[in-house]
Amino acid sequence: MRPLVLERVVKHYGDKTAVSGIGLEVAEGEIYGLLGANGAGKTTTMRMVLGLIFPDEGDIRYFGKPYGPEQLRMLGYLPEERGMYPKVKVSDQIVYLGQLRGLSRKDADANLKRWLERFEIPEHYDKKVEELSKGNQQKIQFIASVIHRPKIVILDEAFSGLDPVNVELLKATVKELRDSGTSILFSTHRMEHVEELCRNITIMHRSRPVLQGSIKEIKSRFPMERVVLAADKPISGLDSIPGVVKLAVHENDGYELKVKSPDVAQRILRHALEQGPVRRFELMEPTLNEIFIRTVGESHE
Amino acid sequence: MNSMWTVMSFTMRNKLRSKSFIVTTIILGVLLCVGANVPYLLDKFASGGGPTKVGYAVSAQGEVQGEVGDIIKGLEMEFGKAEEQAVQLVPVEASGSPDEQAAALKQAISDKKIRGYLVFNPNEAAGFPDVTYYSKKMLDMDTAQALQNGLRTVKTEQAVKEANLSQEQLSKLFDPVKLESVQINESANGKTEEEQGTAIGLTYAILILLFMSVMITGQLIATEITAEKSSRVMEIIVTSVSPLKQLFGKVIGTFLVGLLQLVVLVGAALANLLQPHNRDSLESMGIRLDSIEPQMVIFAVLFYLIGFFLYAMLFAAVGSIVSRTEDLGQAVMPITILTLAGFYIAIFGLTQPDSALIKVCSFIPFFSPFIMFLRIGLANPAWWEIALSVAILAASVLLIGWLSAKIYRAGVLMYGKRPSVKDLIKAMKAFNV
Repeated sequence: MRPLVLERVVKHYGDKTAVSGIGLEVAEGEIYGLLGANGAGKTTTMRMVLGLIFPDEGDIRYFGKPYGPEQLRMLGYLPEERGMYPKVKVSDQIVYLGQLRGLSRKDADANLKRWLERFEIPEHYDKKVEELSKGNQQKIQFIASVIHRPKIVILDEAFSGLDPVNVELLKATVKELRDSGTSILFSTHRMEHVEELCRNITIMHRSRPVLQGSIKEIKSRFPMERVVLAADKPISGLDSIPGVVKLAVHENDGYELKVKSPDVAQRILRHALEQGPVRRFELMEPTLNEIFIRTVGESHE
Repeated sequence: MNSMWTVMSFTMRNKLRSKSFIVTTIILGVLLCVGANVPYLLDKFASGGGPTKVGYAVSAQGEVQGEVGDIIKGLEMEFGKAEEQAVQLVPVEASGSPDEQAAALKQAISDKKIRGYLVFNPNEAAGFPDVTYYSKKMLDMDTAQALQNGLRTVKTEQAVKEANLSQEQLSKLFDPVKLESVQINESANGKTEEEQGTAIGLTYAILILLFMSVMITGQLIATEITAEKSSRVMEIIVTSVSPLKQLFGKVIGTFLVGLLQLVVLVGAALANLLQPHNRDSLESMGIRLDSIEPQMVIFAVLFYLIGFFLYAMLFAAVGSIVSRTEDLGQAVMPITILTLAGFYIAIFGLTQPDSALIKVCSFIPFFSPFIMFLRIGLANPAWWEIALSVAILAASVLLIGWLSAKIYRAGVLMYGKRPSVKDLIKAMKAFNV
């Protein structure tokens, strides 16, 4: 039984279509990436999963069951716009939010202490949220969304506004959650995070899903067109090889080439070897970033 | 139910702990304690001040000529009769032309010997001089009143003396007319004047309490909801607990806090009013706390409860559609005006509890908590009128509650500019509420 299944979900706001026919499945212990430009319908999709708004058509099922009060208890939500009660103590509000989701006061308190230890900020237990730094507020917010050990967690831009150290810390935590069997619906604009964390993704564009599947499979659909080359000595005449579309010269004798088809790469390698030893040669698959820009950007035109 | 309880206790805990709440309660409490003692203090000051000294011109030999001299003697006798002398007449040496006399008298005022002075101008036609009271103080009504009464008595006595009336005839003439007014009540024996005074005082006090607590707690609820919305905690809250439970938890929580505050404040006021020294000064104003009917208190509580929930629901709905606390004041304006209108109609009704306007308004939901209570206190409406009014109110609380819950459900997720009614209906449709 899949923890979270969406089938042909449609939502209209008046005469505007916000989400049209999205369908996806999140397995246990999986992070599912939901990508899309601003206004593509990600937030609406998440809100429908959260039961804040009801789909006009289609079906959302949680472990095979439709939405209901008991589903609320197993959902965790980290909204894009962060918000806590600024004037209320961390312990008070986290315990409150935990209680609202069915935890007992004692359990919520114990969980909070454990999480604060995990993030190495136990001293913030008695502080007001407005006294904390932004990074720490973010951590508290994250704790609020997972305090009740939800089975399904929805993370909207979980890592925005954090410094690299904290991003790594939070990322490690998200991975732990995943490994303990939590299903995570994950939305972000940072493609490198998606590549690192997600198995399957959906790219939404103008309310409809335009690209869906596992990252590996999606990447294989796009031809390998990027060649990275590095040699001890400068290599001349790279741009005159037929099939090379673009040539960029990096510092330290590195080259990045865009080619028309993968077999052009072999010609580049031969060309380079004729001029001397090659330190690095790689025919690279497209990054998710490129795929995203191509998918969303092209249909813009 | 459980999560409603959680919302409620969280709301209460935060309110009770907040500095602004504690400070407001203390300040209001102190003000009430002072206010409760004001009648007593006024009494004290009024009697402690002694009689007002009023001067009149005398010649260098210290005598006043003819007619005026008789009047002064009469006045002195009249003022001397009173337990607490209101006015004391002081002769001021002044001679010469009227202007010179006036200058001397004014000098006496500057020297603080007197507070004001009298000038007598002969009036042949009336047979009694025209008297002018000069004083630097504006609106020195008490003194003027005392002087007028004194002069009237002197004049009457002169006239009576001329008519040669016997002592018996005199006492007949001067015996005051007795008029006592008793309010007729269908059931009981009616309210005496004292009870009426108490009823008006009590009704007035409870009207103010009702108005204040509705406004203050209503604003609190609206502010809190808007604050939750603008700090975006709302998004987490609405995904954890159903909006209806959240709304009612919040309203009931704030209500209990407001009630607690009210009990503290009323307790402080009563504790002061029941002090022996205050009881006397209240009684002198015709208010007797022990003549309060328990029925009045029950109705006060009933209308307070219903009125509170009616307005609280409205405030909550408005709070939920505003995104920023800065916009809130403007948005709650219509409700504020509604409350104010109800309050002022009720104040008007204190003197005319039987007018048609009051009768009609006692059935209009937003006014009836104030006005039906006023009628019960002062005008003895029929029982079916009370029942009908309460029934209409209860029905509108349910209706407004239901509507507010819907607005709340759609409103809490709407950000950006304040939505119009059209936007709101659209959003309600979109959110399937």
